[in-house]
Amino acid sequence: MSEEAKLSHTLVVSDLSAKQRMWGPRSTKNRESFFHDAAGPYASPSSLRTTSKTDTRSPSRQSNSGQRKPTTWLSFPLEFSFSTTMVGPTASLSNLSRADGSASFKCPTTGYKILGSVNAPVELPGRRDALKPEEATVEVFIKPGNTTAGVGERYAEGIIRTMLQKLILGRERGFPRRGVVITLAIVGGGAIARGDSYLTLLPSLLHTSLLALLSGAVPMSMTYSAALMAVSKSNVIVSNPTLVEAKAASSLHVLAFSSKGHLLLNESQGRFDFDTWKTVQQRAHALCRGVELPEVDGDIAMEAQGDSGTAEGFVRETVEDHLCRDYAWKINTE
Amino acid sequence: MATSAAAPASSSRPALSLPPSQFARLQPHAYLLAHLSPPSTNNQPSIRANGRAPTQFRVTSANAGSLTHTNGSAVVRIGDTAAVCGVRAELLHTEDIASWSVSQATSSNKSPRSADQTEELGEQDDNETIERERAHIEDLNLLVPNLSLSTGCAPGFIPGSAPSSLAQSLSHQILSLLHSTRLVRADDLRIWYQPPSMGPEELERHNDEEQMDVDTAQNDPVEESPREIKAFWVLYIDIMIISLAGNAFDAAWAAVLAALRDTKLPKAWWDVDNETVVCSDSISDARKLSLRGLPVASSFAVFEADAAAGWRAAVIPEAAEMKAQRLARKGGVSERWLLADPDGYEEGLTQERACVVVDKDTDGKVIILKMEKNGGWTIDTEDLQQLVDLSSQRWEEMKRILDEC
Repeated sequence: MSEEAKLSHTLVVSDLSAKQRMWGPRSTKNRESFFHDAAGPYASPSSLRTTSKTDTRSPSRQSNSGQRKPTTWLSFPLEFSFSTTMVGPTASLSNLSRADGSASFKCPTTGYKILGSVNAPVELPGRRDALKPEEATVEVFIKPGNTTAGVGERYAEGIIRTMLQKLILGRERGFPRRGVVITLAIVGGGAIARGDSYLTLLPSLLHTSLLALLSGAVPMSMTYSAALMAVSKSNVIVSNPTLVEAKAASSLHVLAFSSKGHLLLNESQGRFDFDTWKTVQQRAHALCRGVELPEVDGDIAMEAQGDSGTAEGFVRETVEDHLCRDYAWKINTE
Repeated sequence: MATSAAAPASSSRPALSLPPSQFARLQPHAYLLAHLSPPSTNNQPSIRANGRAPTQFRVTSANAGSLTHTNGSAVVRIGDTAAVCGVRAELLHTEDIASWSVSQATSSNKSPRSADQTEELGEQDDNETIERERAHIEDLNLLVPNLSLSTGCAPGFIPGSAPSSLAQSLSHQILSLLHSTRLVRADDLRIWYQPPSMGPEELERHNDEEQMDVDTAQNDPVEESPREIKAFWVLYIDIMIISLAGNAFDAAWAAVLAALRDTKLPKAWWDVDNETVVCSDSISDARKLSLRGLPVASSFAVFEADAAAGWRAAVIPEAAEMKAQRLARKGGVSERWLLADPDGYEEGLTQERACVVVDKDTDGKVIILKMEKNGGWTIDTEDLQQLVDLSSQRWEEMKRILDEC
């Protein structure tokens, strides 16, 4: 299948999913065929397995969350469009053999497909000015699919670099004076024109870089998960909006949460007020990390939470699946 | 640390004393920390090394109309950061736009003034207007901001070199903010042409000889011939940071805002005989842009007492735990400070940043237009609420400054 054909196919499917999400549940048949078709050349058996898992579990998670904490959202004046079923993203690790770490990630709602690679620690030749004696320099490069990188990419690179600089443990042995180079190529999805908002692409880029960093075994203090949220003109919060929904929205928000619940990144644009943002933040938190539980000890909370269906759970499962496959020789002999 | 801070005060022993300027260079983090957390014995308030309170912005001044060869210009100075912005308007003929079609040109039958008024009344709920605006301003790239840091503004930026990634990302931020706030009305940038409405018999008479000159749109003058767009104004917004001491974005955005408020476009019309757009010379014909609102940007940085907290701690506490710790410590020494409008020295010592762009509507209700937070994990929802409040105070201040300039 040529790249274009694949692109149009995925776009059609994502439109379909948007419609279905708005108008109610649908059969699972479509969805499965979509994943088998659109997973692309980088799909590995593990990634397919991951998706189907996320997919089947997510409805139960939605209902769980509804039972657990019904009052927080419903008592709020804003109304929500609840997605009855959520099409999960697809991802696979270590696609590239020459890079230290690599990952591909595909977001079903926006249609973006990112291939990321990480090289760390690596010497940065000729960059004496950027070499810090105490810690590693993080470099991020974004390559759009159909053009050269422009000012918009510089901006997104800056956001990702600032965020990762703080999370990557650049003072570990072997890292100071060297570089952590992250390259993100947009291999599928629509083009972003000059001056367009980069927010729709940002969560995919963040997830790809995280998976690539994990694949490259770069030491980090925490992992994270990100979500794209839109508030439509009629004040309805749409989580994981499609590109069409994002374009029509009155405000767009990208939030990233650390694996310990800190708000790592917030990028909001459009017209909104603070109360709306707070609701968006709660909603995004639920999407990324599951519903907040009252004080429980860390491990128990994890168990009770059941993190599948959340963005963080997705990252975890992708890595777990990859490890299972890598250590199959060992696991099978035991 | 405390001893060395106290050392300059006691000048009796010159051998051990260290002037504050040297201390600031040798131990920048400790220097700022010593200012922010004075020993509890003397009742000094927590103050930044530059003499400001943590939530205090630098003295801001703005001067509009400084450059004579531009359509609008402004110089904004925030402390030692100075930005010059010039707006130059150039004509874009619709016949030079490859994707331009006649249907696009005549899609609006409303007169420009009435379109303007309906928008004023119904605010921005008219989806069609928004879509048309977006189609014109964004798709045709009618706003072209560019920010230059290669002016020798700070030692780190070599004059005359290629735009650094900071300059590029600031340019993108300004463009993206211009688009998302919809500050400039597309209607100010359109140059319309109303074909004269001739009576049918008059037309019969003139048709033969005028067929040559008259544009194709006039061939179908059954009723009142629709107005069409003949050209657009393209605004080239060039920003030079001539001195950079931190917080380039606020200064650049304030300069853009002041320059756009100052911008006057000459009266322009389509000359049928020459088939070109001509502009009026007289200044009295020129009109100002009518901007939507007054979005004001305020940036903040977070200074952490323990600079190594992020990498030294093997286990970073959970968010809820961190909050509990902070509450317990309230009243005592805080572990981090929110610094408004950080200068260059403070920017070098902080990683976590936040930027809030707010506007107020006629009722005084605060509208957030952009909210960014990145580079750390200490700012939570309450802090952001506080930053929005600070930004709305800053809005009042900036409004006064911009109205005076």
